[in-house]
Amino acid sequence: MDDNDINNLERRCPRLGSRISFRYCLISGEDDNPCWKIFDCWWEYFDVESYLKANLPAEVFEQLVEKAAAQPKNKLASIVEIAEQAKKEKTNK
Amino acid sequence: MELKKYILREDEIPRQWYNILADVNLNPPLGPDGNPVSPDQLAPVFPMNLIEQEASTERWIDIPEEVLSVLNIWRPAPLVRAVALEKALDTPARIYYKNESLSPPGSHKPNTAVAQAYYNKAFGIKRVTTETGAGQWGSALAFACAQFGVECKIYMVRISFDQKPYRKIMMASWGGNCIPSPSNETKAGREALEKDPDTPGSLGIAISEAIEEAVADESGQTRYSLGSVLNHVLLHQTIIGLEAKKQMELAGDYPDIIIGCAGGGSNFAGLSFPFVLDKINGKQIEIYPVEPAGCPTLTKAPFVYDHGDTARYTPLLPMHSLGHAFVPPPFHAGGLRYHGMAPLVSQLVDEGLLEPKSVKQNAVFKAGILAARTEGILPAPETNHALATVIDEALKAKEEGKEKVILFNWSGHGLLDLTAYDSYLSGQIKDIVLSMDEIAECEKIYADFPKPQHLKHK
Repeated sequence: MDDNDINNLERRCPRLGSRISFRYCLISGEDDNPCWKIFDCWWEYFDVESYLKANLPAEVFEQLVEKAAAQPKNKLASIVEIAEQAKKEKTNK
Repeated sequence: MELKKYILREDEIPRQWYNILADVNLNPPLGPDGNPVSPDQLAPVFPMNLIEQEASTERWIDIPEEVLSVLNIWRPAPLVRAVALEKALDTPARIYYKNESLSPPGSHKPNTAVAQAYYNKAFGIKRVTTETGAGQWGSALAFACAQFGVECKIYMVRISFDQKPYRKIMMASWGGNCIPSPSNETKAGREALEKDPDTPGSLGIAISEAIEEAVADESGQTRYSLGSVLNHVLLHQTIIGLEAKKQMELAGDYPDIIIGCAGGGSNFAGLSFPFVLDKINGKQIEIYPVEPAGCPTLTKAPFVYDHGDTARYTPLLPMHSLGHAFVPPPFHAGGLRYHGMAPLVSQLVDEGLLEPKSVKQNAVFKAGILAARTEGILPAPETNHALATVIDEALKAKEEGKEKVILFNWSGHGLLDLTAYDSYLSGQIKDIVLSMDEIAECEKIYADFPKPQHLKHK
């Protein structure tokens, strides 16, 4: 498979529940970086780790691997964090 | 003719939810200050009656009549004996499933959506916000809000908004205001659009938009709603298992094995928690949450406190984790990442009350196709995870010559997920296996981290 083939690969996104291309996974994480589930979702299709290692800046790749290996925030704690941020913005208005 | 469906009358519907927090000790999520998240922190996001449920340790919680009257639109849901699937597998196992695909939006999700809409209304909330990916949760909440006259605003990730019109139409038909995220209606959305006006969006942005709208409403009449993971969501889903217990009695059977797709935990918990109570009280029963292979959150990862990020900004949380700094071995890149399980489910695994199983994508879709061709219902992709394990267990029973009784949750239909079968049917998926040695290696990384208490049920 060349890069074009890989970018056009499609599967069902388990988070969204709809069909997406690999290209979307490359940009749908925080700050337009790859989604933290990209390894999970694509390892059964092709050697996604080698592909990303070869195509991402080393620092971005390393951060992605670390993020993917970590657990996501607890949902309740994450909600509180977003809410407190929103409250701050509201107060600052 | 063999009896296929076991049906309860409407007046036989369970009138209380089962709250497993009465029987299980749960390590609390820790806030940024290192203390447990408090009700005050949650008050701008959820109505207080749901916050109270989130923390309640009452074993049985009454289901309000208003909620029951809406659930009765499709509940009690039938318990079905999967006779055709049994025959296809030539197994001595007796396979039963709860058919949760019969709700108006087509999944188990409205079980909590209806309750949440009611409690918001009862607390004086006029509008509920949420996010949705492809729209399964959004349509469930729109349906539920319509029943109680609550406004429903749904931020749908733009890529799905553009690609999947049917759920959007469903939401609109129930009066839900579904808009693509990012939108111009929130700061989070505007920032994303400023960076890239053509952005396809993401769940992260959609969640931020939905919470921001709830918190920023000066009138205090807007709250946010979530369809998975949280304790009160799992509580509302227990009606599935409570009905199933009554129906298994009608069938004159009791399950040896219970199976559900783990995901965010709600459909699995809904079926299994009432049976976990039996297990705590001495019943011999195997209970299997199923997750995708290659992501052995519970199958292989130990139970520790860990940060959600390498910078250690996020709270320490008790969870099955392979450590924040774990670097995966080459090629086995899919193995060890996804840890989005509900904390209650993680806790029960830690106590040995649940035994997680994992399945590969090929097996998942093969199972879905077999189920569709025998039982007739095209399963939701999540249901296929449970089905793959059901088939494994039924074949094992055949090998062993045992008449095992298997119960699983058919959590939804897949009629709006047809393209999900494409990868399998077009042969795109390969099977790769992870090694335990690699996982053992990563355990060294969090050796110095604090360990949560290995709590035991009460």
